[in-house]
Formats: sequence, structure tokens, C-alpha cells
Amino acid sequence: MTPLRRRAPIAGLLVALALLAAACGSSSNSSNSADASPTTGAGKDYQWVMVTDQAGLGDQGFNDLAYAGITKSAKDLGGTGKALESSEQAQYVPNLQQAVDDGASLVVGVGFLITDAIVEVAQASPNAHFLSIDNVAADKDGTPLPNVASVTFKENEGAYLAGVIAGLTTKTNKIGFAGGLEIPPVVRFLKGFQAGLKSVNPKATVNVAYVGGFGDAAKTKELAAGYYDDGADIVFEVAGAGGLGAYEEAKARGAGHWVIGTDTCKDALAPDNFLTSATKDVSGAVEREAKAVADGSFKGGVHNLGLAEDSVGVCQKTFGSLPKTIQDAVTKATADIKSGAITVPAQ
Amino acid sequence: MNGILSINLVLSGIYLSTPLLLAAFGGLLSERAGVINIALEGQMLLGAFAGVAAAWWTHSAVLGLLAALAVGALTGLVHAWFSVTLRTDQIVGATAINLLAVGLTSALIQPIWGQPGTSPSVPKFGRIDLPLVQHLPFVGRILDHLSVLDWAALALAPVVWIVLFRTPFGLRLRGCGENPEATASVGIDVVRVRYQAVILSGLLAAAGGAYLSLVQVGVFQREMTQGRGFIALAAMIFGKWRPVPVLGACLLFGMADAFQVRAQTAGVHLPHELLIALPYVVALAALATFVGRSSAPAAVGRAYVKD
Repeated sequence: MTPLRRRAPIAGLLVALALLAAACGSSSNSSNSADASPTTGAGKDYQWVMVTDQAGLGDQGFNDLAYAGITKSAKDLGGTGKALESSEQAQYVPNLQQAVDDGASLVVGVGFLITDAIVEVAQASPNAHFLSIDNVAADKDGTPLPNVASVTFKENEGAYLAGVIAGLTTKTNKIGFAGGLEIPPVVRFLKGFQAGLKSVNPKATVNVAYVGGFGDAAKTKELAAGYYDDGADIVFEVAGAGGLGAYEEAKARGAGHWVIGTDTCKDALAPDNFLTSATKDVSGAVEREAKAVADGSFKGGVHNLGLAEDSVGVCQKTFGSLPKTIQDAVTKATADIKSGAITVPAQ
Repeated sequence: MNGILSINLVLSGIYLSTPLLLAAFGGLLSERAGVINIALEGQMLLGAFAGVAAAWWTHSAVLGLLAALAVGALTGLVHAWFSVTLRTDQIVGATAINLLAVGLTSALIQPIWGQPGTSPSVPKFGRIDLPLVQHLPFVGRILDHLSVLDWAALALAPVVWIVLFRTPFGLRLRGCGENPEATASVGIDVVRVRYQAVILSGLLAAAGGAYLSLVQVGVFQREMTQGRGFIALAAMIFGKWRPVPVLGACLLFGMADAFQVRAQTAGVHLPHELLIALPYVVALAALATFVGRSSAPAAVGRAYVKD
């Protein structure tokens, strides 16, 4: 009989291997801090540096959008742009510090989880410039740091325009909202959408439902099915990766069943059913702050970007294929929001 | 209320039950043979992934499903090797499979498809068209909207019941789960039977995962099983390791979930947090009232040592 004791280490080793694989899986790039193809432009010696979160480059989300902003800044303003990838949270502070030590003109931190690391490094290096995307970097007392530009978005203003499009498109006057979880940015999307919808179509109603998470496509699909069965002809998904389920359901049901997406244009998921997206221009926000550094107007604190800054909106790629009347209504609503004639509720 | 209680609710309930059914019957076979299988979640995830990867390479949903079944059987083999041959703690070995599944599938999306998080769309299984069935009142619309895996899942209860209680293989399998030493004493190879049961278990769990990816959404997404393997395990315990009650438990979970989804979409004025918790509340209430004590196979979790 083989003693169990002799076999336990084998199992232990396998568990360790599994943990290692799990750790690798949580980042798309396991290299510590790889330079992602530095781009050089003409002019001054700027260094535009971003530190990714664990999703890394290639996430087709925040990281990629921010990196696009970095690349464009290097091209338009001169200097080099690069990204330091973090495969785990423990690398946030060293990567940010490395960027500062290398003399970066602007250090961009992407993601909710990196905020604390930005606060730590920014307080230790008061002369360096930082940009925190989608979250406010503040000290212990809640005062925003003077050398960090914290960019947040007025999701509600872009969603208002999506609501206008929905209100003028719906034939059944029934629209479904499929959220992941009831958290502030999701609620901002909902409130803006409802206001935009009511402004052009007071008869239309929105029912609200939540999936319970941002990664369950199969359940989001059943949620969309519930809406369509109930007579809705548009579903507005703010359900993260799981939102894909709504497009699958609309595609299976065919033309006349619309989906409105979030953050980026998602027409590729269901070309015949994609109506529009309430978008967030992360790339533009990075460029904006880079420009501010270049012309010396950089200011720390909270920058809440909306339509006036062209930082939110609706999907431009498919905008031209909407009926002319809808395009005009969106243009008018945009002008009214920019001029202050309309204030879009956020909660 | 009219909007909620409809034939579509039943259909949605079946769709939400099918992955649970496939995985729960996988768990039942393994545990009836005496091996705890909390690796169901990881096996589902690997099945969902392998199915999409193979369907993407071969442009065939059928080949995708076959690959998922093969990978599921392989994970079952690994679990059996851990728990039957190496006689490690059955929970620890299964946990390793769960962790490995999450890490491996997440890490492989990028190198295979060149994009992180989600695979491209692959061919899916469609509904099976049955002649004349759609003319039946009430059930016609349901029967006409099921895929091959929905049918397989619904057929599992009678099939597993017959295998367990009416075949020599079933008798041996149950013997290994109740008293492996006594079973061995009448000349049955306990190790062999446990291997067979655990491999079948992995195969069924992987089919449950492939249902999500190859029938429901047609892509693989990181961690797309979202804990369904553990819900299936709960349904198996809730169903007291018996085929018909396990069928009932899975359908109860699925129907309660479909009901809460449709209550939300129909605009019922209840907090959504409460509605989302409904399937679990229903299960707890049923367990606390009329289901009574659960009785696991006597030798489940206990390694068999040949004398």
C-alpha cells in the first residue's frame, strides 16, 4: 500500500500549478512592464506614458481606448508614447513610479483599481502630472489631488441622445433597460436615457431590469427575450460583456428588434439590430489632458466631461444611416444640452 | 401578470434549467459512485471553451459539441486520477480543476482569437424541427423550440434512473458509493467503476457548459458559466441524489429564475435585488419545509483502499 503522505506533494504541486495558471489568466500579458511599441512624433521631447490595469492592452475597452489617446498625443504633440502593462495589482505602484522616474510628461492610469496607487505615487511626486480615468484620485480627506486630473464622464448626456433616437424609432412605445448591477454609472445611463426618451415621445415607457452581474450573456439573453415577448421593440443594454446576449436574442428574432449598446459602437455584434450606442470617448480625454500639459494649462482636480467637451455621445459610425428626422432631433438636443437649455438628470 | 405567466416563461425556464440539469446529473453519477465532484463548474467552463474553439476551427457546431464532450471526459479522468488513484482529498483536487479552468480558458482567448475576453461568433445549434408538433395546443410551441441538448437534458432523468436502478452497471455504481469494500468483496473492480462514473460526470458537466456557448450565445466569454456548476451541485443535493427529484430541483431553479427575469421585464414593482434572489429563496424554503433531510451516499468522499 502506498502511503498517502508520499502522494500529497503531487496534488499540492498540481494545485499550485492551477493557481499559477489562474494568475496568468487574469492578465492578457504576463510580462512585467513591456514597452508597447513606442511611437515617436516630431517636436518636443514629451513622454506620454500609460499604466494599464490587469486587463492590459487588447481589451477593446478602456485600456485600448486610452492607448489610442496616447498614440495620437505623441503624433500630434510630439514626443513618445508608451504603455507599461501591469499583470497584477502589486505592479501598479512600481509601474507608476517608473513612469515618473523616467520623466514622463503625463502619467495616465486606467481603471478603478489603480486609483489608490495613483494617489500614493502622486502624493510622493508633487511635480509630476497624472491622469486618472473614470475615478477621482483624492487624499484622505476627500480633496482631489492638485497634480492629478481625474476625468469622469457624464454618461447621462450621451444616453439622453440615445433616448431621443429610441423615442423616435420605437413603434410599440415599449422599451426595456437591461443593466448589469445598479451602480452609479449604470444609473446615470438609465436616467439620461429616460429623460431623452420622454423629451421626444412622452407615451413611451421604459421597464428596468438587472441581470445581477456584468458577465452573464445567457441570462441577459433571457432578459431581452422577456422584453421582446412583452412587446418591447428596443432593449438598452448596460450589461458589460454579458450584453452580448441581448444582441443574440435580437438577431434570432430578426429585423425590428433593436438593441442600444454602451461605451463603444457594437454594430458588429448584430448589424441589422444595432440601433446606436451611448459612447464614452476615453481616447479623446487622454488627448485633451496631454494637450493641456503641452500648452501649460494642465490643471488637477475633477474634470467631469460631457457633450460640451465632445467626450460622450452616440455611435458616430452608424449615425448617418439613421433617418434624417432622427439625426436632426439628435443634433438639436446636442445643441440644447451644450447651451444649457436642457439639463440632463444624472440620478 | 399576463405578461409574465405565459408559454414563453416555461420555454425560458427550460433554457435556464438545461445547463443545470446536464451538470447536476453529472454530479449525481459521480457522487453515487462515492466521489464528490465540486469540479462541475470548471468542467462546464472547459466544455464551453472547447466547444467554441472546435466549432471555430471546424465551422461545425456538432464537432464543437463532440470536442466539448471529449474535454469533459478528460477532466473527469483527471479528477478520477486525483481522487481514486492518488486518493487525494476529493475537494482539493476538484478545486484545482476549477482554478485551472478559469485561468486556462481566460489565458487562451487572446492567443487563439487575437482578442481578449470574448471569442468571435461560431456556428450554433438550432431548434429541432419536429413535424406537426407546432399544431399541438400549449406544448406545441415549447416542443418546437428546443435544441438537441435541451432534449438530452430532459431525457436524463428517466435514462439515469433506468441505468442506476435497473442495470447491473447501476447496481455496481451505487455499491461503490454506499460500501466500496463490500462491493469489492463480490469481485467488482471499485476503481474501474469509479473511474467510469467520474469520467461520465465530467462529460455531462462539459455538455452543460457547451449548451451555454454553442446553443445559447454562440461565443465563449471569460467565466461565462457564472457559478452554474455550483448551483447544479446544490440542485443535486436538494434532489437528494435521486434522478426524479434532481430533475424537479433543476426545473424549480430554472423556472424561478425565468419568473424573476420576466417579473422584472414586465415591470413588477418589487426591488430587483429581491427578485434576483428568488430562485435561492424558493430552494431554501422548499428545503426547510417539505423536502426534509438530505441523505448522501454513505461512502461519498471516502477514498477506497484496496486490501
